[in-house]
Amino acid sequence: MPPKPGLEPGNAAVALKKPNHAPKGAEDVPHADLAALTLALASPEAGERRRAARELGAFPEAGPRLCAHLGSEPAASVRAVILTTLIRIKSPAVVEGLLPLLRSEDSALRNAAIEVLQEMPAEVEPHVADLLADPDSDVRILTVNMLSLLPHPKAPDWLAEVVARDPHVNVCAAAVDGLAEIGNESAIAPLQALAARFPEVPFIRFAAAAAIRRIGGS
Amino acid sequence: MQPNHAFAQTAPAIQITEDEYEKFYEYFYRRTGISFSGRKEYFVEKRLLERIAKTGSDSFKAYFTLLRFQPSGEELQHLVNLMTVNETYFFREDYQFDALVRGILPEITRTRRPGGTLRIWSMPCSTGEEPYSIAIQILEYWSRADEFAIEITGSDIDSRVLADARKGIYGNRSLQRLSPELRKKYFRRLGDDQFEIHEELRGSIEFSIANLSDPIHMHRYRAMDVIFCRNLLIYFDDTSRRSAVEALYECLTPGGFICLGHSESMSRMSSMFLPRKFGDTIVYQRPVEQD
Repeated sequence: MPPKPGLEPGNAAVALKKPNHAPKGAEDVPHADLAALTLALASPEAGERRRAARELGAFPEAGPRLCAHLGSEPAASVRAVILTTLIRIKSPAVVEGLLPLLRSEDSALRNAAIEVLQEMPAEVEPHVADLLADPDSDVRILTVNMLSLLPHPKAPDWLAEVVARDPHVNVCAAAVDGLAEIGNESAIAPLQALAARFPEVPFIRFAAAAAIRRIGGS
Repeated sequence: MQPNHAFAQTAPAIQITEDEYEKFYEYFYRRTGISFSGRKEYFVEKRLLERIAKTGSDSFKAYFTLLRFQPSGEELQHLVNLMTVNETYFFREDYQFDALVRGILPEITRTRRPGGTLRIWSMPCSTGEEPYSIAIQILEYWSRADEFAIEITGSDIDSRVLADARKGIYGNRSLQRLSPELRKKYFRRLGDDQFEIHEELRGSIEFSIANLSDPIHMHRYRAMDVIFCRNLLIYFDDTSRRSAVEALYECLTPGGFICLGHSESMSRMSSMFLPRKFGDTIVYQRPVEQD
């Protein structure tokens, strides 16, 4: 790009103006109050709702209220702030508030719930057995996806258990994908047995073999 | 499976196999957005071995388990800090400055009246190379520069680097990417390896302290049209990164843009922004409509 003639550094003041970011008065600093913030979640202004969602992070008891609000919140930016606040609150109540969202028809909401849940390994652990036994295979697939990213030492064993026992091939396939990354030797036997469980599904044999290779088996 | 790397000098017992490298690359990319090409293998292995030794792990496998399952994510952060190079100089990643004058500013000003204010924020600005580069780029290459009042702010959490930024004195290494013409035009030679940026330019840029994690600090910065926040968020843990991105969102005017470092991807951090492509670079826009 050729330099633009005529604007010399001596003319910098023509274009550049020094800004002022002096501290604003105390009236600009938000005041947190649980009742007022909860009320502000219903504000028609998305900016107000974001502020409320952010500041509710100072009130762990607001977790269930925020989880409930997620389902009806129309603005993506507010939802994003709510998720961050829920991760900060990080409590068993938040996990319980999010689990029903795994059954939502709204895929963005389901993924949002997973996004938060995978940040709370200790709080999620008591629910893993129930989630993996859920009659809805979609819930089990979401759970497997979450476990694949959950920083929990039992995650590889939970996935290996899915591969050994889950009756649905898609749930097993999701677990195979997870094991390819986080699996250990204990997954090799169930992976080897998987093809025999689903002989009518050829791809599962290749997926399992690839996962075994990645884990370090023969 | 054959190990392909032996580290006789530093840790003779530890070897990392091809498959282990693959697993590590995939994991690291997924968590941080940083990908390593084959050329960086030595760079990666040196740092991995350093952390393996520091954490007392007896194998790559043990270390990788720690890395993945540590609830605090502390070890991942140590590794990120090691794997990222913090270096600053004039016109670093200059394709974004090209995008600024060729695409971003023209788009922002399409509906603005001449005489209005444009606000550009370099955060973190370190010792000032980035905000000065932005100023030079605009003065040199944006034909509408003199139609608007352009406010450029450089901020950092470190008051010592801000003091250096205000002084505006740099060595040859910082100026390596500047043409002799631009050096002559915008700098005064003080010594063999000392160049002082033009006084008027220095006086046109505000340098101020800012902490992305402090809501009161961040409240001072509003209605920004463009934010350069490059190679900072990568150093944050996941939760702090989310909060920081949300704070930056509030600092931008609707329709404003944020430029991240080349190894950073907003889509891995937040869904609040729209990716936009200008030339070869992707920047992120706060949606125009009040969402």
